[in-house]
Amino acid sequence: MRNAVYLLSIAVIALGLYSYEVRTENKQLERTVHAQYTNALTSASETLTTLQTSVNQSLLFQDKSALNKELDNIWRLSDQLRSSISGLPLNREVANNWMKYIGKIGDEAKLVAQTGDYNSWHDKMGVVAGNLKNLSNEWEVATSRYFENDGDFSKWQRTIDSDTEQENFGKIAQNLKSYSETDFPLTASESDWLKKRELKNLEDKEITKEQAIDKLELLIPNIKDASYTVTKSKDTAPYPFYHIQFVKGSRMGYADITVKGGHILSFLSERPVQEDKNMTQQDIKELTNKFMENAGYDDAKIVEFRENHEVYHISAARVYDNAFVYPDGLQFKVSKYSGELLGFNAMEYVQKETIKEQPVNPVDWKQFFRPGTIVEEVKMIYTENELFELRLCYQVIARFDSEFNETFRVVVDAETHDVIKVEYMQ
Amino acid sequence: MARSILITLILVLGIASSIDQTKEVHAFSGRLLERGSSGDDVIELQARLQWVGFYNGKIDGIFGYGTYWALRNFQQQYGLDIDGVLGPNTRNTLVKSSQFHRDWVHQQIAKGNQFTHYGNTPLAQQTKAGAGTNGGTGQKNASTVQLPVKYSERDLQLMANAVYGESRGEPYEGQVAVAAVILNRLESPDFPNTISEIIFQPGAFTAVADGQIWLTPNERAKQAVLDAMNGWDPTENALYYFNPATATSKWIWSRPQIKQIGEHIFCY
Repeated sequence: MRNAVYLLSIAVIALGLYSYEVRTENKQLERTVHAQYTNALTSASETLTTLQTSVNQSLLFQDKSALNKELDNIWRLSDQLRSSISGLPLNREVANNWMKYIGKIGDEAKLVAQTGDYNSWHDKMGVVAGNLKNLSNEWEVATSRYFENDGDFSKWQRTIDSDTEQENFGKIAQNLKSYSETDFPLTASESDWLKKRELKNLEDKEITKEQAIDKLELLIPNIKDASYTVTKSKDTAPYPFYHIQFVKGSRMGYADITVKGGHILSFLSERPVQEDKNMTQQDIKELTNKFMENAGYDDAKIVEFRENHEVYHISAARVYDNAFVYPDGLQFKVSKYSGELLGFNAMEYVQKETIKEQPVNPVDWKQFFRPGTIVEEVKMIYTENELFELRLCYQVIARFDSEFNETFRVVVDAETHDVIKVEYMQ
Repeated sequence: MARSILITLILVLGIASSIDQTKEVHAFSGRLLERGSSGDDVIELQARLQWVGFYNGKIDGIFGYGTYWALRNFQQQYGLDIDGVLGPNTRNTLVKSSQFHRDWVHQQIAKGNQFTHYGNTPLAQQTKAGAGTNGGTGQKNASTVQLPVKYSERDLQLMANAVYGESRGEPYEGQVAVAAVILNRLESPDFPNTISEIIFQPGAFTAVADGQIWLTPNERAKQAVLDAMNGWDPTENALYYFNPATATSKWIWSRPQIKQIGEHIFCY
């Protein structure tokens, strides 16, 4: 009996010590995180004040160089503030609305610095400066309790967990949403881009779910007579579609098919073991081309081809007037061993871009690039610029004439010669 | 007697040299290699091109532009058709003009060593032990993953951790969907600009809050991320998802819903 009491006492003491140690460790961690959050909040608040001052200062100048300096400052500060906000434990709605609004200011500054349209900046920013001042004041009130020296860590957790209307940031969230809509309305190109993404211009006749399955089986005969589970998209989805899940032997996967017109948006199949048919890359390319032809994607061509562990990932794009239209892209996933089509994605291709005429001005690449740069390939492509406008561009593959042959993909607007994109190619 | 010894010797030498040549010629698996290829054949191609001084990049098994220009330069130098493709003619010429120390090269890769395979320097002097395993400047292990140019292997790893932590019990489609939501956020102005910031945004993912993001992801989670990076989006552009059985936020229920996959509802 005495021994049992003795052992029990030791166990209780050990447990107590362990519990004390865990509590101390937790407290230390809380203090570290508390300090980091407070620091991030201080930094965000200070950056917001500086950004607000900078937007005001930009309204002072007509001088191009003084204004450009301020625009550069605003773009940098907006990026910094977005990063600070993203690190704060804010309610999701507040954080998202902040990032959008601040990002819009930065994007606008960057754009005006490029285009030199200073009048539009002055017109727009008069209102934005006032709204930013209001937001800054509201932010100061909402965040004041986080600077109290009460050492209470739980207030951060409460902010993440609570819905906006229940906490101090409610007014900021509301204002940010309405300011974003009024201060930065959608441009025509943004609206077109959104319409394409939400398949707004799809006018085809509606099909039934049985017709959707027939369409799928016609294109992918491997899954004929599979067992299917078909559900319709939720009522709030931007476009209605059938979500078809299938199982056939070891194959299982899904396909999304639009209700209007029965366009296959995407298809993905899993089949763990593939028969080795000794396929070559050429075979895979031929199979992909044949599939594109059968599926009615006969105006598309393969643009990229990547061999991965067990599959090839292949990208294709529509070709219009000898130029690749990258926003009308298609993706394929094909088994390396059997050549079976394991997936394809036609989301971007379903609603094709409307292509407008655009002048093409020749470029002297010797003048465009520094000496020592070799232009290996020039192709015409259509791609979107930062304003979501579809532009006809030169796609140049250029490399340094050096030991490592560093290679770049440079996209240059065919009319204005603006550089739209530069990518380092591995 | 002497004549028969001589004939035998010539025959033996002839057979030996033909065996050796056959071995060299068939060193590769025989498949055609071009930009976009990957695997052991590409490791051999890079190592052989480096042996004869045409390739100075990493021997990583990925046939990218570095390998492409090196191969074209080799073809030009040796009077072959210049197409940047390793077909039978180029393969034979390359095998005859170079050496490939297969075991040594694969050993270096397996150890994560930083190494080169030049023909004019003893191999022992061309390796730094274990430099690559610390994630520093060394040679990485050979990769069998080729990503679209805008993503890095670090992105793949981080996303695989998030997908595995968030949705390992979900069907494959559901795992691709979680990866697609992360990538949709990357394109959205409402979210941070990097994959890391998106994943670690406070409160954004349950797996970060409960530590499950640090579990080692399986191959399936990595494949799901790879498919999402290559364009698949089973969510049809969703920015959020939640489990209706456990979600308590009124706000998340107010979002326009798109579809349900497994236990998750995906929404804008």
